[in-house]
Amino acid sequence: MRVLVTGVGGDLGRKVALLLAADPGVSDLVGTDMYPPRGRVRNMTFRLIDPRDRRPLLRLVREVEPTAIVHLGIYEPSARSTPHEAWERTESATLAVLGEAADLGALERVVLRSGLEVYGRGRGSVTVPDEAVPPVPTSAFGRSLLEVERLAFATGQDGGVPVAALRFAPLVGPRFPSPLGRLLRLPVVPFSALADPPFSVVHADDAAAAVVAALRAGIDGPLNVVAPGAVTVSQAALMGRRLPLGLLGPEWALVRRLTAAAGAPLPSHLMELLHRGRTACGARCRELVPAIAERTTADIVAELHGWSDPARLQLVQGEAA
Amino acid sequence: MTASPGVRGALGAAAATLRRRALGRFEIDEWGADPELVDLLVPALGAVTRIRVHGATRVPERGPALLVVGSRLGLAEPFVVVAGLRRAAGRRARFAGIPDVAPIGLVLRRLGGAVGRPGEVAGLLHAGHLVLVTLSPEWRRPLRAGTVEPELIHPALGAGAPILPVAAMGGEISGRWQVVVGEPIAPPRRRTGRHSPLALAELADAARAGVQELIDEASPPGPSWLGR
Repeated sequence: MRVLVTGVGGDLGRKVALLLAADPGVSDLVGTDMYPPRGRVRNMTFRLIDPRDRRPLLRLVREVEPTAIVHLGIYEPSARSTPHEAWERTESATLAVLGEAADLGALERVVLRSGLEVYGRGRGSVTVPDEAVPPVPTSAFGRSLLEVERLAFATGQDGGVPVAALRFAPLVGPRFPSPLGRLLRLPVVPFSALADPPFSVVHADDAAAAVVAALRAGIDGPLNVVAPGAVTVSQAALMGRRLPLGLLGPEWALVRRLTAAAGAPLPSHLMELLHRGRTACGARCRELVPAIAERTTADIVAELHGWSDPARLQLVQGEAA
Repeated sequence: MTASPGVRGALGAAAATLRRRALGRFEIDEWGADPELVDLLVPALGAVTRIRVHGATRVPERGPALLVVGSRLGLAEPFVVVAGLRRAAGRRARFAGIPDVAPIGLVLRRLGGAVGRPGEVAGLLHAGHLVLVTLSPEWRRPLRAGTVEPELIHPALGAGAPILPVAAMGGEISGRWQVVVGEPIAPPRRRTGRHSPLALAELADAARAGVQELIDEASPPGPSWLGR
């Protein structure tokens, strides 16, 4: 299997690449992203390409002629890109990689990063949707994820290729740039006092295991990837000995500016989570990857508060302190 | 004056619970329910009402079941049935059909409420919960069972959950309630791979008839304007 991994510079991409590099079924492994991965991945060739620069991306696809694509080049707004840049990169990478690979004719399977944001959280919507619930996104990120899914499924149908769209709960990990993770680690955590809905997360390690399992199994269709259980935002703050600050409505505009200044911007899909919650039924995925059931949302949130802040090393004349 | 050991123990347990909750160490499920809060409020509801439950043994000890509840106004009945089943059958039931509007939605979700959508009911049943769906209230004829949308009953067939008719009779003013759980309703036979709309409509009718039968058995004969 010749595998092309997009978004390999992120934490999830690197973890997936490490698992694939150790897989004897993978003969060639090529990764691309706008950032290099943090740490070397044996047996992987890396190409530094900004997804908005479509021509080098098309050249890479033609060169590799992949039989499998792991498309993790989906950029969450306010994670490492601004909302506008995130959408541009996501759209450009999806069109170029999936379109060109399908035209080459060697493609056998696709695994795609999506998110629970596609289900939307409109009034009266199903609180814990399974894969059979039709997606009706109500945030910009949710709409962009659904658009990517549509493109991928259309590509898959044209070429008779199975496409697995993994709808991840908000991803959290020690080095994962997540707007939710940043918010929950603030000393004062704002939450909706009128709703304080439950949300679920998934650990980046479990998400990587799910990607590789879906690739090996040749899953076709959407698959929710979510840790069991849920917590509320105020509960998550209390678990980390943070001060939960209940807000009623108009003061959110000011709080969004303050949290952005504190390094934790609140994009629209995170605001939706804070007001309407975000959970899903992950029973199908837990059959595929039983290990996901072992780490609950409460465990992951407790771990999140246990992760130490980045340590700044002081350079001393000629050597690292 | 010193407190008795029982009172001291209760105060100690309450302090430990508060301390644990202040540290965020309590359970909230994916639908937003707080089981500890429900268990705290059931005895409180029991102190102000008298709920007698008949047929609690028909409720499965574990696993999913769909309870179709006949209601007059539909306001107190879900709470009465939840409290009655918690005490008589030892199970926490969920009730579907809450308004998805803050802040009432938050309060009702904490108590076990969920929106009345087929997908929501299906999710709860697949997770092994007891789920209450209420018949529409018959305002003019309080002793007549209302109707239920077939789509709300359909998820029980997919989850392999028994469908039980339940009648909740009594009044908020008297504080006396009687909850009767009936025999499970037989699922319709399938001629093809899927249940037809007609079969689902007949199942909803059977659920309504099951509730009506329980109301008729439990109610003394009355004037015709009550719907008898």
